[in-house]
Amino acid sequence: MTKTAALLLAGGLALSACASDEDGGDSGSNGGNGGGDLKVGVAYDTGGRGDKSFNDSAIAGVEAAVQSLGGDVDEDIEELSPNEDDSNREELLTQLAEADFNPVIAVGFAYGDIIADIAADYPDTQFAIVDTSVEDLGVDNLTGLIFAEEQGSFLAGVAAASKSVTGHIGFVGGQQSPLIEKFEAGYVAGAEAVKPDIVVDVTYLSPAGDGSGFGDPEGGKVAAQGMYQAGADIVFHAAGGSGEGVFEAAVEAGQRAIGVDSDQYLSASPDQQGVIMTSMLKRVDLAVEDYLNSFADDSLESGTDILNDLSTEGVGLSESGGYIDDIQDVIADFRQQIIDGDVEVPTTP
Amino acid sequence: MAEAPAGAHPAAAANGDAPYAVELRGITKRFPGVVANRDIELRVRRGEVHAIVGENGAGKSTLMKTLYGMHRPDEGTILLDGRETTLRSPADAIAAGIGMVHQHFMLADYFTVLESIVLGSEPTSGGRLDRAEARRRIREIFSRYALNLDPDVLVEDLGVGDRQRVEIAKVLYRGATTLILDEPTAVLVPQEVDELFGNLAELKREGLTVIFISHKLDEVRKVADSITVIRRGTTVGSADPRTTTARQLAEMMVGSELPSPQTRTSTVRETPVLELRGVTVASLTGRPAVDGATLTVREGEVVGIAGVEGNGQAELVDAIMGLRPLAGGTISLGGDDISAWSTRSRREAGVGFIPEDRHRQGMLLDAPLWENRILGHQTRPPAVKGVFIDRSGARTDTERIMREYDVRAPGVDALAVALSGGNQQKLIVGREMSSGPRLLIAAHPTRGVDVGAQAAIWELLKDARAEGMGILLISADLDELIGLSDTLQVMLRGRLVAELDPASLTPEELGGHMTGAHDGSGSAA
Amino acid sequence: MTAVRRVGSALLAPAIAVVFAVVITALVILLIGENPSTALRVLFDFGDTPAQQTQSIVVILNRAVPLFLAGLAVSVAFRMGLFNIGVEGQYRMATVLAAGAGAAVALPAPLHVLLIIVVAMAVGALWASIVAILKVTRGVSEVISSIMLNFIALGIASWLLTGPLRGSEEGAAIITTEDLPESGRFPAINGLFDVVGLAQPRGELYGFLLVAIVVGIAIAVLLKRTRFGFDLRATGLSPSAATASGIDARGMVLKTMLISGAVAGLIGLPDLMGRTHHFGTEFTAGLGFLGIAVALLGRNSPVGIAFAALLFAFLDRAAVPLQFADIPASVVTIIQGTIVLAVVVANEIARQLTRRRAERDTGQGGPPAPESPSPNPTGTAGSRIDEPQGAGA
Repeated sequence: MTKTAALLLAGGLALSACASDEDGGDSGSNGGNGGGDLKVGVAYDTGGRGDKSFNDSAIAGVEAAVQSLGGDVDEDIEELSPNEDDSNREELLTQLAEADFNPVIAVGFAYGDIIADIAADYPDTQFAIVDTSVEDLGVDNLTGLIFAEEQGSFLAGVAAASKSVTGHIGFVGGQQSPLIEKFEAGYVAGAEAVKPDIVVDVTYLSPAGDGSGFGDPEGGKVAAQGMYQAGADIVFHAAGGSGEGVFEAAVEAGQRAIGVDSDQYLSASPDQQGVIMTSMLKRVDLAVEDYLNSFADDSLESGTDILNDLSTEGVGLSESGGYIDDIQDVIADFRQQIIDGDVEVPTTP
Repeated sequence: MAEAPAGAHPAAAANGDAPYAVELRGITKRFPGVVANRDIELRVRRGEVHAIVGENGAGKSTLMKTLYGMHRPDEGTILLDGRETTLRSPADAIAAGIGMVHQHFMLADYFTVLESIVLGSEPTSGGRLDRAEARRRIREIFSRYALNLDPDVLVEDLGVGDRQRVEIAKVLYRGATTLILDEPTAVLVPQEVDELFGNLAELKREGLTVIFISHKLDEVRKVADSITVIRRGTTVGSADPRTTTARQLAEMMVGSELPSPQTRTSTVRETPVLELRGVTVASLTGRPAVDGATLTVREGEVVGIAGVEGNGQAELVDAIMGLRPLAGGTISLGGDDISAWSTRSRREAGVGFIPEDRHRQGMLLDAPLWENRILGHQTRPPAVKGVFIDRSGARTDTERIMREYDVRAPGVDALAVALSGGNQQKLIVGREMSSGPRLLIAAHPTRGVDVGAQAAIWELLKDARAEGMGILLISADLDELIGLSDTLQVMLRGRLVAELDPASLTPEELGGHMTGAHDGSGSAA
Repeated sequence: MTAVRRVGSALLAPAIAVVFAVVITALVILLIGENPSTALRVLFDFGDTPAQQTQSIVVILNRAVPLFLAGLAVSVAFRMGLFNIGVEGQYRMATVLAAGAGAAVALPAPLHVLLIIVVAMAVGALWASIVAILKVTRGVSEVISSIMLNFIALGIASWLLTGPLRGSEEGAAIITTEDLPESGRFPAINGLFDVVGLAQPRGELYGFLLVAIVVGIAIAVLLKRTRFGFDLRATGLSPSAATASGIDARGMVLKTMLISGAVAGLIGLPDLMGRTHHFGTEFTAGLGFLGIAVALLGRNSPVGIAFAALLFAFLDRAAVPLQFADIPASVVTIIQGTIVLAVVVANEIARQLTRRRAERDTGQGGPPAPESPSPNPTGTAGSRIDEPQGAGA
């Protein structure tokens, strides 16, 4: 019986192989006649498309740019995800470059280790990397899309301290890495700027070198529960998918939480919309879109970083739900001070 | 009783012209490299219990698989009720009224008795299981054959005997008129055996035919109406249980005069090989498992340890082999105190070991025979050369053991699991003898082996004794103990309570000592 | 004949598993509305130019090397019945310390490479020995302790990386140890392609491949040909029989875990010495767990593990081209997962077939009756108690 099944299957495969050969040609050749010359390669961070966060934000920016430039979202964008253990990141970038995608955008600092070497190997291709500074690398065809997360987080700290009743707030970081520490540093500084004696609990879900803290809602929930029980009434997370757990804990505790990266109020369930006070926005989509637009109109200055901060609205606070409408003036005040340089926000805790 | 060709079975004439329920003519079945059955002749009358006896590995099961359609014979014919029949599958056999009750039950725990019985041949009404109809038929079967079962009990709550009855009922439910029972008593305790025999009598009374496979001769004589003996794949004769002794049957099975364990002349020398002084082994329950055991085994001497199982014999063996720490006392081998030695050092110093449970301690079942040859001898030639395994040496020596000890196996690459119990045991004995040990610890050396292998092992032990080996024999077989031992020690609650002279001892007396009835008084020698 | 049959039955289970996995995967691909044959073509399409094709080979081999070592490390313990789930932690510890040690010293090239390898093996072995010591002295299950030690290893490695061994400057997004100097790197063996007349690939072929081959042969010889290997396998087949044969079970647990850990220590080195030259936050984790799958698929034999590692690597290579063909890369993971699942089942089926065949070869009928020591001492030869007695008296 199994033999027959195997034969049938093999036959089926052979037939469909023949069938697909006929139309296989044009889908493989990648046209290139749609939206000008723009063919964008995107190498995702762990998790790939559909992470409701970082990767989705980046691809939204790419699609917006391609559309506005008259390209075809299906034809002119190639998205690749790394494998489970991230061991093939180099392959992703080189294969995109080999296949003549230009520019190639690497989403996430994890590519920072290798992208300079690959960019040097393909001098005719433009590369961009999100979240990593490339200024000191001296590679002409490489651009760093970096963010002043500490500035946005500072405002989140201001909002939290202003709204906290108990004078006790919390921070849950995904992984104890320099990037997430920028969030913490800004958040704590912002909170202390409002209430110098405020108590800020800080927890990281996984240590450096272990990315599991970004995909561990259970761990996020436990961490946040601990903070709420200890008296915190607002918890800010910078923990990717683990933030879901933080929101759950907030719902259960009847307290509030602050989201990250995108306006998480918009994608939350009605329960959680009641507790997501605001989100610290990190507009990867805007950064990527701007980058592609400047690439398309030849105004790109590569070999350096593009900083996205409060002044460019690359970072900021969301206002969905109206929970922080009453303190808008305080926030606006601090924002202006930061932009003006009157307030210096630290980048390390 | 002399061997008679089965074809000349007196019953054939006695039964006149009524066809046999089952008749096999010249059945031969070959497997690659081996003929499992050769020229089998079998005649089973309707309404009788017909026993098929033979040693393990004689080909009984192959024959039954032929009869149950699990494979087809290469030669010969099968006649059922006088009609030539071809059985292509068990389904064919069932359709022809043959049912098989396997040695290992094939029942699912979470089904009720009723469900288990109907499983596979459910009466349906409109696609649904017709429970009422099934229940009616099952009740009828239960009452007709006096099978005392409750159809609604879960199988998991049943004892072994009841499960067997469920299997029988299941076969009857499918309309079998001839039942094959493969070693049905192997899993039963004596009382259950009696119940089973009662059920078989009921089946017979109702006109059903039972083919009963066994190698337990006493049972066979008790239950069977006629007996067919199989040896080395072929039928060697038939016997009438009323006029044949178990010993005669056994001799037919083995094909020669049955040896007895008796040793004639003493070969005991002066030099002690093994000396135990106050050996004590702690146990978890408080009372020591072995309590101050003192004994000496000399060259050429067999010291037997008698005792009801669980009185510390196993722990004593473990202690001598270094598998269990001593709580007190000393063990010396040829004058060296080996109390603190590792098992390996003891073995290297000349201790051979035939363990009580060969599957657990004596063999690697999933390894080939030549690797089993190495087990326990990993540090000694011919199995090893330096730090390396000597494959060809081990293989050659395995072949020697197979030859000299009559281990029946296709070759040295066969897995140990594929051998019958007797052949496994002979391989172990051959292995342990091959390094020429000074001392052999033989724990139940003939347990679970067939008569032929038992005789062979007794001979080997006697030869080893004659060559001056000291042997410590632990056994539950009183005849074996009395027959082989030069000195007998009785073990009771961890103590050696009596030293007896086997020359003037009956099994009944020995039994008395083992249960403590003769406490102390029996220290005759 | 028997040799052919043995090889046949050895290949049977993995073959069934692979076929099963391909069927399942084809169904999954159909379900998401893509064409299974495209996936099949992508799997075997190594590229158009000779250089692309050799590059595909390089990608496969480079991925196979650590997988092979991981499978080997797991299998050594497996063979004696130990479940070393701790390979993950062992190679993490080994890699971070080897990276630290390698960056801290200056030695001539061969010695430097040797030192890094020795440090890695020693650390892996030591870390594994904790599991062994807990097991033999306290009876702690190696499964539990090695899982716990994986977490501890994660913490310690992270602390070492961010603390004493930190090499990257403050504020860098990726934290790494100091780079290994040139002398501590394992040269690529791309010369091999010239020797066999193939085009030079774009990337470098890990020289550590040679080390892996040597280690594989060494382990194969150790297991198959030495007394120690016999003791190890015997313990795995039947601990009680092994003890009765004079094998010191505790000693074997310790020695086996030391070897398993030492091999585990090598897993991170191909990447460390051939590509990244430092341990960092982007360290490739999870190979220890993949190793369990590879060992299962390879049925714990070094040759089998080599094939299993190559198969996994072959599938992993397709992860990128599959995405170009608009088929999610997780297809690869599905195939791998199904293979491993299927192989466990198939192994069992193949084992039963082999056993049954072995039994049939000896002409024995059914399954060997378990000669359970029955309470009745005359269990199998009922005539014994009365008959010889009469004859002998």
